[in-house]
Amino acid sequence: MKLWGQILWTLLSVPRGRRGVLQGWAFNSWKTYSSLTGPLSATGMVNHWTRVFEERGIPEARESSEYIVAHVLGAKTFQSLKPALWTKPLTPQQLECIQELCGRRLQRMPVQYILGEWDFQGLSLKMVPPVFIPRPETEELVEWVLEEVAQRPHAVRAQDGPLILEVGCGSGAITLSLLSQLPKSRVVAVDKEEAAVSLTHENAQRLQLQDRIRIIHLDITSEGCCTHLLPWSPLDLVVSNPPYIFRKDMEQLAPEICSYEDLVALDGGDEGMDIITHILTLAPQLLNASGSIFLEVDPRHPELVSSWLQSHPDLHLSLVGVREDFCGRPRFLHVQKSAP
Amino acid sequence: MSSRSTWALLRLPLPLIRICSGKWGLRLQEKPALLFPGMAASTVQVAGRKDYPALLPLNESELEEQFVKGHGPGGQATNKTSNCVVLKHVPSGIVVKCHQTRSVDQNRKIARKVLQEKVDVFYNGENSPVHKEKLEAERRKRERKKRAKETLEKKKLLKELREASQNITEKKADADGIPRGFQE
Repeated sequence: MKLWGQILWTLLSVPRGRRGVLQGWAFNSWKTYSSLTGPLSATGMVNHWTRVFEERGIPEARESSEYIVAHVLGAKTFQSLKPALWTKPLTPQQLECIQELCGRRLQRMPVQYILGEWDFQGLSLKMVPPVFIPRPETEELVEWVLEEVAQRPHAVRAQDGPLILEVGCGSGAITLSLLSQLPKSRVVAVDKEEAAVSLTHENAQRLQLQDRIRIIHLDITSEGCCTHLLPWSPLDLVVSNPPYIFRKDMEQLAPEICSYEDLVALDGGDEGMDIITHILTLAPQLLNASGSIFLEVDPRHPELVSSWLQSHPDLHLSLVGVREDFCGRPRFLHVQKSAP
Repeated sequence: MSSRSTWALLRLPLPLIRICSGKWGLRLQEKPALLFPGMAASTVQVAGRKDYPALLPLNESELEEQFVKGHGPGGQATNKTSNCVVLKHVPSGIVVKCHQTRSVDQNRKIARKVLQEKVDVFYNGENSPVHKEKLEAERRKRERKKRAKETLEKKKLLKELREASQNITEKKADADGIPRGFQE
């Protein structure tokens, strides 16, 4: 009993906030605790930490505690846990683990970094700060590319294909989902951050996809980057979720993003177009005659990209498709090489 | 009409509707096919889940979908983990909530699959393949339990018989004066 008492006290002693208010709160919670049935169960822990997060203004209070508790119990989501586990008492080790992970959430660490993993298109990927965390919208980008590839088999090499360049691979999410769903494809993935190159490599190995990927530490805005990529041309596709946030919007980013993710992976310059324009300039030199570029962008970019392409006719690129994300915002662009 | 913050009417852009009919195997129909349950229905294929033959197809225009609440600017500017999908079939009022996976995309697919099964039972009742499969699964489970119980009892009986015969042999050896280890 003494051990449980100690654990309970540790759990309830959240880091001190202002005015010692937390001490009073902790004591009240103790009283509430003893009257709750099964406080040391998964459900009890979720409820407890949801309250704690809410009181501390942590966004997604319930979701965060659910993911953390589920993870400690070996499941990916709380809903996918066997119902019997919701009420079963947790072991001291599990409680300690939950305590530690939730403590990190109190520091506004993103859940994906706390768990050290996240899913993308059904693949489980390792997540390590500050490498950019894949966003749910980006799954739609992959879906679009897959659709297009399925519809244009003649544009793809018979032997092995398509041959894809991903710019800014981050954790490898886009690259690895394409590789896993297009068994004959090959990808050249580049990123300017060494940490991203490393993580993509690690995730590729975890998924046994390392044979069809080449990962290069390369900044595509640097002079002469084209020479490094020419050996792989002609490519069938260029795919990217490049940094596309408008410089002035960077200050509105949540602490989860500002404090933990690599801001270089987000900042797209004044109009969020800096990296996009570099990609569009580089791509025609690498793509085959009817090659395509698929990009995730800010909802303001379809128009901006359209006019930019019109003012750069020498690139022989045209915007042939715009697709909305699941929130109904124009989020994805399909740019295609046209005949000179 | 309902505001965006509560029930947002699904407006799937055209390309997305193509995904639905292609990858998910759900066929869209212009007419409200669900008012005529007897009409031809399509097979649903969602990877990893059981396939039911001939379930009533779901008409996307009759669905209302609610995603992540307050998603903010979205895309790179947001990092949300709430991937719960709430899907409502308007004509029947059936609602399905799915937070089975960490992926919005997967949850949408699963939600549609589950909703289609529920809607089929709603309109077809006992005739629904879903209902029939459930009964069949329950029957199989009862059968398995019964067989397991029988096997257990047989084993128990065998064990008792063996122990009984061993006792007899040991008693006999004691009576003969032969050390126990040397029985045949």
